[in-house]
Amino acid sequence: CGVLLTTATFAPPTPALVRSHRATARAAGSGRHRICMVSDFFYPNMGGVESHIYQLSQCLVEQGHKVVIATHAYGDRRGVRYLTRGLKVYYLPLQVMYNQSTSTTCFHSLPLLRCVFVRERITVVHAHSSFSAMAHDALFHAKTMGLNTVFTDHSLFGFADVSSVLTNKLLTVSLCDTNHIICVSYTSKENTVLRAGLDPEIVSVIPNAVDPTEFTPDPGRRDDSKITVVVVSRLVYRKGIDLLGGIIPELCAKHPDLCFLIGGEGPKRIVLEEVREKYQLHDRVRLLGALDHKDVRDVLVQGHIFLNTSLTEAFCMAIVEGASCGLQVVSTCVGGIPEVLPDEMVTLCEPTVRSLCDGLEIVIARQRSGSVPSPASIHRRVETLYTWRNVAERTEKVYNRVSGQEVLSLDRRLTRLTSHCGSVAGAIFAFIAVLNYLFLLLLQWLIPDDVIDIAIDGSGPQSCWTQTSSKKGKRKANQIL
Amino acid sequence: PPCGPVENKKVLYGRQPYPDNYVDRRFLAELRRNVGVQQLRYWSVAREAGLVGQQVSCVAVFVALWSSLDGGALPPAALLWGGLLAALLGYGLHGALGGGTGGRTRWADLQSAAIFLAFTFGFSPVLKTLTESVSTDTVYAMSALMLLAHLLFFPYARPSPPGSLSLNAALFGSVCLASRLPGALHAFAMLTWALLLFALWPCLLQRLRDRAPRAFPWAAALVSLAGVGGLSGLWPGGSVLLLLTLLALTLACPLLLVRLQRHKDNIHGPWDEAEIREDLSRFLD
Amino acid sequence: MADDSLTDIYGNRIGVACRCHSDLCREVTVSGPKLSLRSVLVYTCGVWLLAYAAFCCTENTAVLSCAIILTLVGLMVYIHFFKVDHESLLIIGSLGVQLSSSYASGRECTSFIEMSKIKDVVINEAVYMHRVIYYLCILIKDPADPHAVSSVLPLFQSSKPRLKCLIEVYKTCQEILAQS
Repeated sequence: CGVLLTTATFAPPTPALVRSHRATARAAGSGRHRICMVSDFFYPNMGGVESHIYQLSQCLVEQGHKVVIATHAYGDRRGVRYLTRGLKVYYLPLQVMYNQSTSTTCFHSLPLLRCVFVRERITVVHAHSSFSAMAHDALFHAKTMGLNTVFTDHSLFGFADVSSVLTNKLLTVSLCDTNHIICVSYTSKENTVLRAGLDPEIVSVIPNAVDPTEFTPDPGRRDDSKITVVVVSRLVYRKGIDLLGGIIPELCAKHPDLCFLIGGEGPKRIVLEEVREKYQLHDRVRLLGALDHKDVRDVLVQGHIFLNTSLTEAFCMAIVEGASCGLQVVSTCVGGIPEVLPDEMVTLCEPTVRSLCDGLEIVIARQRSGSVPSPASIHRRVETLYTWRNVAERTEKVYNRVSGQEVLSLDRRLTRLTSHCGSVAGAIFAFIAVLNYLFLLLLQWLIPDDVIDIAIDGSGPQSCWTQTSSKKGKRKANQIL
Repeated sequence: PPCGPVENKKVLYGRQPYPDNYVDRRFLAELRRNVGVQQLRYWSVAREAGLVGQQVSCVAVFVALWSSLDGGALPPAALLWGGLLAALLGYGLHGALGGGTGGRTRWADLQSAAIFLAFTFGFSPVLKTLTESVSTDTVYAMSALMLLAHLLFFPYARPSPPGSLSLNAALFGSVCLASRLPGALHAFAMLTWALLLFALWPCLLQRLRDRAPRAFPWAAALVSLAGVGGLSGLWPGGSVLLLLTLLALTLACPLLLVRLQRHKDNIHGPWDEAEIREDLSRFLD
Repeated sequence: MADDSLTDIYGNRIGVACRCHSDLCREVTVSGPKLSLRSVLVYTCGVWLLAYAAFCCTENTAVLSCAIILTLVGLMVYIHFFKVDHESLLIIGSLGVQLSSSYASGRECTSFIEMSKIKDVVINEAVYMHRVIYYLCILIKDPADPHAVSSVLPLFQSSKPRLKCLIEVYKTCQEILAQS
């Protein structure tokens, strides 16, 4: 079925072909996968990648696949944990180096990850985020062990400075023999294809989604005697907080009934505080500080307009969340943002104070004249645009395609590395790949695969997860008996 | 090319009629190469490189002055008179090239000059004892290192005002050297020249570059010649070496840069981080 | 229940014996691999060869005697404090659980937990020395709150049987716990 699938995707599809493609995908979909998601970023850490992994895993479990997640230990949280629907999370004791990312040595994580892959009988390893060293390590080990690999890139990179040149080289090495890559927007796909020198056919675009039940409008919570602009983002340079510092005084001077509600924390908070101080806007600009994920919705529903001033963004979850809460969205037109929402739901501006102010003025005028659609109708519209179930279905197709492909044998992998990643880096990483393989052989000699206990499935076709019992061990064992 | 009833739009919402990994003809259509890269011309680069060359020469001039003062070939009084003349000439030129230096009056300039001179004059006898306990080798090595640091950290893009790190390094190096001179007047003369060369000359040069771009290369060439000439009486091999260095810096390096320009391949596209070009500090002042 | 195919997590064969003293009293004994003559010989020879090499360099006979004493003392310490011959779990309904481990030298360590303190016996997973393993453990009740677990007591810590064996023991324990 793998052959048929690939021909169907390569040819410019006529409707008939598309139908046959879907049919084959469904046929292959009957084979359930055992997937291991690997990333340094997972709960209790908060962010877009974390919720992406969690929501995607939940939907895949719902579809009947077995999913386990591997991440590094967060403080006290180490060992094996179970989340809703029997989603199993391995918090592996690996040393964190910088910004919640582990160090990459290409070797030290092999014993633990091999144990996880073997005992869970993993068929597809799905790594997330190019910032995560553990994800790249896992891809490297999975290829050594002959497992199929998928990688999701959540961020955009430039090409100009030294650090991005180096990271792009590492990404080239990491992705040159990965079976399939997923990007969250078309812009992100172009970026990743250029950075890693990939064949665009093996890169799929699957957007993020939001949980519409979590972000529901509540017009009663907002104060209609004034107009409130909500900003929820980390207060860092890349989110364009400097621009926000210019917009606030401009607009507050023009509209006496305009308020700003700003959620988030970061080094650029000082800019906003200075602006507030200088223009005496203490009652109109409220800085809420760091927000918990569960509090975001409560902040969003208090506003009329959602403002996003990011300077770069692969896929802006925040504007979808804002729209889902029924707000009018004003955003800078950078990265993948123009692809995210239909034109009637978002006002796109250039990343300048002038353009953003103009965009906000238009929306404020529309808000005053009452010609904006009701929050509930906006919410209903967004609900249909992005769902995690849709994301999971499309990801499932990637798994189906990947599981039909063969993993490169060591000699072909070495050829690929040396031919694809330049002579110096290619040779170095080919050498590391050989060492990694030898290390794997040593581990297999020390602890053969058949000595590692096969884990009892928490999710998937043979899942023993039941909602009723509360105790982990008892539940598991009860099911075996 | 897609010929179906529905065009594959570059949007993420809504189902596309194509598989997720479909590559349409507009893939990478927005890729731009070498946006806003200015094509460098050889002589303009060489002109700018002249600034680097003349700064190296400045150091050479300073070392030559020190050496002739140390050897007794040049009396300190003559050096001081020369310095005064140079300062007055430079000040006049600076004024002639356009006044309006942030509302400073001549009186204020004279005041600061007087304070500097008085302090330097007052402290120059102390210098002798300052480095007495340090061996001469160490003092020489230290000043060489400091003058090198001055050259490395000099703000070549905009020499005025001189960068604090490079200026401090240069002054520290000159204090080290001046402390090894035979008399207090020698040290005083040396320090005034250090101020002239490392603090005031870059300002004048910057003014020259802005207001009289034609005269700038000649000024740079003059300083370079002075450096080579000053060093030739002292150490002929060194002056040849300096000449070769200057030629390499001002003629060969720009040639290399212009040649390498051909291989420039910058990729731009919608994924680039937007730059904030406007001046946002106006909201905070 | 004596099964030849049972192994510990390293693939060494272990023996498991279950004795039914009565309906309410069972004893499970897990005996680890015996101290093999080969490994003792390998270690002894290793130490002695090193000592002989040191003797060749220093020409001091004290090195040799030290090595002999070292191996003897080391062997004794090992069999007395480290080498567990078998571990047993005696579970008596409505009374409690007795855990005992006997060392190769014959030394025995025994502890007893009252049934009132035991919340449950479960199989859990843990990260252990670069791998993830299953282990059997007793959940001890928190005296303040009978629904909470105050601590976890792992069983068969030395012999580390594999999951198949743990499930058998688990079933045995649950039968007794269900009765009491």
